[in-house]
Amino acid sequence: MNPAVHMDGITKRFPGVVANDDVDLAVERGSVHALLGENGAGKTTLMNVLYGLYEPTEGTVRLDGEPQSFDSPRDAIDAGVGMIHQHFMLVDPMTVWENVVLGNEPTTWGGLRVDREAAREAVVELSERYGFDVDPDAKIADISVGEQQRVEILKALYRGADVLIMDEPTAVLTPQEVEELYGVFDELTEQGKTIIFISHKLGEALSAADEITVLRDGVNVGTVASGDVTREELAEMMVGREVLMDPATSPQDAGDTVLEVTDLCVDDDRGVEVVSDLSFRLRGGEILGVAGVDGNGQSQLVEAITGLRDAASGDVRYRGESMVGKTRRHRIDRGMAFIPEDRQERGLVMSYDLVENGILGSQHDPPFARGGRLDWGASRGHAESVIEQYDVRPPDADAEAESLSGGNQQKFIVGREFERDPELVVATHPTRGVDIGSTEFLHDRLLELRSEGKAVLLVSSKLDEVQGLSDRLAVMHGGSFTGVVDPSTVTEEEIGLLMAGESLDDDSVEGAALHDDAGDGIDGSTAGGEEVDA
Amino acid sequence: MRNPLSPTAVLGGVIESDYLRSLLVGTVGAVVLLGVLGIAFPDSVFGDFSGIVFSTSTGASTARLAAPIVLAGLGGIFAEKSGVINIGLEGLLIISAFISVYAASVVGVGNTVLGIPALGVAFLAGIAASTFLAAVFAVVCIEFKADQIIAGLAVWLIALGLAPFMSTVFFGGVNTPNLGVSVGWHYSATLVLLATVGSWWLLNQTAFGKHLRAAGENPKALDTVGVSVSKVRYAGVLLSGVLSGVGGSALALSIGQFVGSGETMVQGKGFIAIVAYLFGNYNPIGTLGAGVLFAGLDAMQIRLQQLGYAVPDTLVQTIPYVVVIVVLALVGRTQIPEAAGEHYETED
Amino acid sequence: MSDPDADRTPSVLARLVAPFVDRSVAERLVISVAAILLSIAVGFALVLVSGRIAQCSTAAWTMPFTGLGFCYNPVEVYVVLFNGALGYPFAVGEPGLFNAGWTPFNLSLGLTLSETTLLIFTGLSVAVAFRAGLFNIGTQGQLVVGALATALTVLALAPLLPAGPIAGVVLIGVGTAAGAVGGGIWGAIPGALKAYADANEVITTIMLNFVAANVAYVLVLEVFRAEGSSVVATRYVPEYAQFRPWLFPPSSDFALLALLVGVAFIGALYYFVEHTSVGYDLRTSGVQAAAAEYGGVNAKLTTVRAMTLSGALGGIGGSVWVLMSEGRWMASIPDLGFDGITVSILAGNNPIGVLPAAFLFGILKGGALEIGFRTDVPTELVAVLRGLIILFVAMPEFFRMIGRYTGVAGGAGGAVSTGPEETAGGDGGETDA
Repeated sequence: MNPAVHMDGITKRFPGVVANDDVDLAVERGSVHALLGENGAGKTTLMNVLYGLYEPTEGTVRLDGEPQSFDSPRDAIDAGVGMIHQHFMLVDPMTVWENVVLGNEPTTWGGLRVDREAAREAVVELSERYGFDVDPDAKIADISVGEQQRVEILKALYRGADVLIMDEPTAVLTPQEVEELYGVFDELTEQGKTIIFISHKLGEALSAADEITVLRDGVNVGTVASGDVTREELAEMMVGREVLMDPATSPQDAGDTVLEVTDLCVDDDRGVEVVSDLSFRLRGGEILGVAGVDGNGQSQLVEAITGLRDAASGDVRYRGESMVGKTRRHRIDRGMAFIPEDRQERGLVMSYDLVENGILGSQHDPPFARGGRLDWGASRGHAESVIEQYDVRPPDADAEAESLSGGNQQKFIVGREFERDPELVVATHPTRGVDIGSTEFLHDRLLELRSEGKAVLLVSSKLDEVQGLSDRLAVMHGGSFTGVVDPSTVTEEEIGLLMAGESLDDDSVEGAALHDDAGDGIDGSTAGGEEVDA
Repeated sequence: MRNPLSPTAVLGGVIESDYLRSLLVGTVGAVVLLGVLGIAFPDSVFGDFSGIVFSTSTGASTARLAAPIVLAGLGGIFAEKSGVINIGLEGLLIISAFISVYAASVVGVGNTVLGIPALGVAFLAGIAASTFLAAVFAVVCIEFKADQIIAGLAVWLIALGLAPFMSTVFFGGVNTPNLGVSVGWHYSATLVLLATVGSWWLLNQTAFGKHLRAAGENPKALDTVGVSVSKVRYAGVLLSGVLSGVGGSALALSIGQFVGSGETMVQGKGFIAIVAYLFGNYNPIGTLGAGVLFAGLDAMQIRLQQLGYAVPDTLVQTIPYVVVIVVLALVGRTQIPEAAGEHYETED
Repeated sequence: MSDPDADRTPSVLARLVAPFVDRSVAERLVISVAAILLSIAVGFALVLVSGRIAQCSTAAWTMPFTGLGFCYNPVEVYVVLFNGALGYPFAVGEPGLFNAGWTPFNLSLGLTLSETTLLIFTGLSVAVAFRAGLFNIGTQGQLVVGALATALTVLALAPLLPAGPIAGVVLIGVGTAAGAVGGGIWGAIPGALKAYADANEVITTIMLNFVAANVAYVLVLEVFRAEGSSVVATRYVPEYAQFRPWLFPPSSDFALLALLVGVAFIGALYYFVEHTSVGYDLRTSGVQAAAAEYGGVNAKLTTVRAMTLSGALGGIGGSVWVLMSEGRWMASIPDLGFDGITVSILAGNNPIGVLPAAFLFGILKGGALEIGFRTDVPTELVAVLRGLIILFVAMPEFFRMIGRYTGVAGGAGGAVSTGPEETAGGDGGETDA
């Protein structure tokens, strides 16, 4: 029997770059295939070729043995290929059924009316067949991320997809939702559907896939059955060298309290309370990690601390001073550095060059401003020093921020904020999109700041990052901390439960939190058991 | 499963939001209160006010003045829902107002073309002119990725120059001579009602309506299911041209003349239309309500002057503009489509 | 969005200007010039077509080969427009390139420069708001209010001071300040509504234009109307309290001093925007409000500030209109505020660019008067050109496309590169390529 998908010798060149170099991929019908690799390895490019977004420079695509030539995703959809993007392609204010049938609405009255009954029925019938539990009349904005993902799958199935491509399907899910997703995979494959998913997480490739293909630098490094390979072997295939899995943290005595949050409540833009009665304390020389699935109030918590959002109630005390009613400017002046979660929205002015971006936040302060006048000479010197220390490429202070790659943008922001000589660093996803080498460097700098006695609030969705760097690890769910744990002793399963909103009554975990309340530092010894999360 | 076409379901859909419901209830309530006060105290100012509000001539001039506001507002909904903010509605009204009068005078009142009476031809010409200008706007915004606000301003300013220019070329002055006939207010009212109901249907019941909404909220979602975002947006903008064309023609033909001095006879109605649909929360029924409200204010000030209240007429004319500002300040941020104002580029 | 624009700047021009300005400024310059030329071309066609439709006894121009007669001669229109605006320095249809008798201090050039001066202020007014990310369509209203404030202040103070040059300087100074305050307040209203009630400033400023015109009209009509005046206008301010027309004929309503003040304002505003902390705040909130907020900029305050400053500049434009052009406030105020939008957009909202843009638009306005004198073409043509220029400047992509097709552009393929690196940059590196 022919494989459901057979990509043969695919090469895709962009001006100056070879994204895929002679890649072969064969996927059997009814199987789950993982496409594993680091950022930039060429996984998404390969799938975009399969989905008709890109035409391959060389090579052929066969479905069930039939050669295909896709000019657009439309062709791919017609041939039975469905794509579930990492960022869901759903229209938030519309209902589930409206989204599922979008673009293929059944109509009556000669096309003058959408046949709601038929559409709803089709959606209900599909979700029943695959055991999905979604309300066809719910609005997308009101359902959980896991449900939204199932709507995306329904969309593909409604269009007759036999092959489902999923881009980083677990990125936005809790560990429990991930388990549910694996269940969905089983349902789908049982009924003859073929699944290819893109991932950079070893663990999920091993547990969910039948076969794994590893890409590195656009080349197929090898295809292996998930039963025949170890975690370490896969990691080496991905990175091309042996991977050291332990960031070196050393014990550190905590200093004075730098940040104290008391009974903090914060509303989101719609006025819904998303941070509820949150309290914690952060000392100098300490890194407090905040883990959790995105969208559980982390953003609003950070915004309330950094002055981008007013708290509904409660208090934020920074260096002994209440920040309620104080401006963002005031916090900057008091030495609060902030690496924002959205670097292109907030962290950088995209149309400014790096000289101008280097003073963002310090535009009223010496040495960049004196008497209201800006000193562009000093600003340039500052930008150049950040560029040099943090290895920003290209090393050109006159380059506009938008011309830099995401990773280099991030390095520039981190450099600018670290060089502010802060007392507190609020870092959200500080290494998102940054390559492994630079990630190590940024982690070292964070630990250096910690040993200099600075306080660090580290919010990240990378579990290994928060676990590896933090002295204490708080897990956030539904606007509050479901637990504050010792990252060196807690297990991944325990964190998963906390992320899903359940509490632990394990003594050691409680002990960690209480331990700190007593005022002692945590022994932040090396954390173990994390996975490679490139 | 409830029948989506049952009267309660339809009504429920219309009065979906609390916001719209309070708007409707508030307006109806205010009118009823005024009526009661007017009957109770016929000699007071309430008596005069209610006399104005419920008089036929006020009703007629409200219908006349509401036509451009409501129709342009409906058009604005289509454009903005699709993701293109059309701030040039004023220009579309101006150009169609002039062209309709021009066409009527070329054909000659009383004559017909292909069996269509002159005023019918005038309407069609006005619509064509407005649609053409909207098409230019659409190309500029969608194809050439112009800033929608600036391009919309340009549409307004072009029409503001072009209509008096052409009027001077053809008629020797910025104001055209009066045609001597005019379209009755019943026609305006009928057009407004038909357009409102039609727009509501198109937006809420058809596949096109769903696509329009998706194009404005998450164009990528629409693109990935194989519907061209550009085409949907073109359709939205062109519809705004068609509807504004009806509105502009109705305004000019209800008087039988185009006035091109100053801000022209349109006098900001295109901008008031924008506020009307924002106030109506992008719902055609709400837009109708808001448009009638604004037009009613205008009609009332005309009657007030006739009743001889000792207020300078220019000052009274200012009332609708002030009300628009107040309304906008109170409405504040509306639920503007997520991707409105942004360009969209397909990936393939 | 990435910015591959820089690569597409026509290479010759880029090389010429590169040492002075960065390439995006050069590109703006090219686009502005191209937009003007395109507008002129469309205007040419418009004149031709209208000339065919309009009725006249003798054809002003006959098209070669076809024998078609036209009422208007489009070539003549533009010759009159540009040559006339400068006072006919170029000899047309006569031997020699220049008219021997031409002097720069002629009436026509005076009228043109008078318009230029006024447009500098309204252009700066729109530009400063634009830089803060605000569309101030209300410069017209701010100008009306500022002009009235100036006229009333000067008229009220004049009797208190002994007539003479010193009083003149004081009155001009105080009158201009009053105009700035009046316009500033009128601009602060939509600014505050935007900042604190989230009311769209485009709509509120347009509405406030109507309100300003009507209220000012009624005030003058009912309270401040000059006795015996046939039009709705205030009394004239004393001669000594007006800008004196040096060198140029008095009937040109142009004062060189006012132009110099305008140029000084350009310099000051440029310095403010590019070299001060508050200016940095202002333009940062203009290009990327979220980043400005992150950088400690108080968004609401900046909005109100920018609109107040913008309104004050419009108000000063009104002061100059009263103290230089009319000598009094009168109801028929020209469209200077709307022209200011064109000037600002043409200038790429750059204060320095306002000077050439205002001069160019001054030529159009001055030339319009000449068109009215010498041809049958309606002077509203200039209003059409105003709209067309804005439209064309608003679509840079159009000119880039033309540049690509005609091969003027330097870099190739910039627009279609969706290579992995760009994807990584655009999506924040969360997707891989």
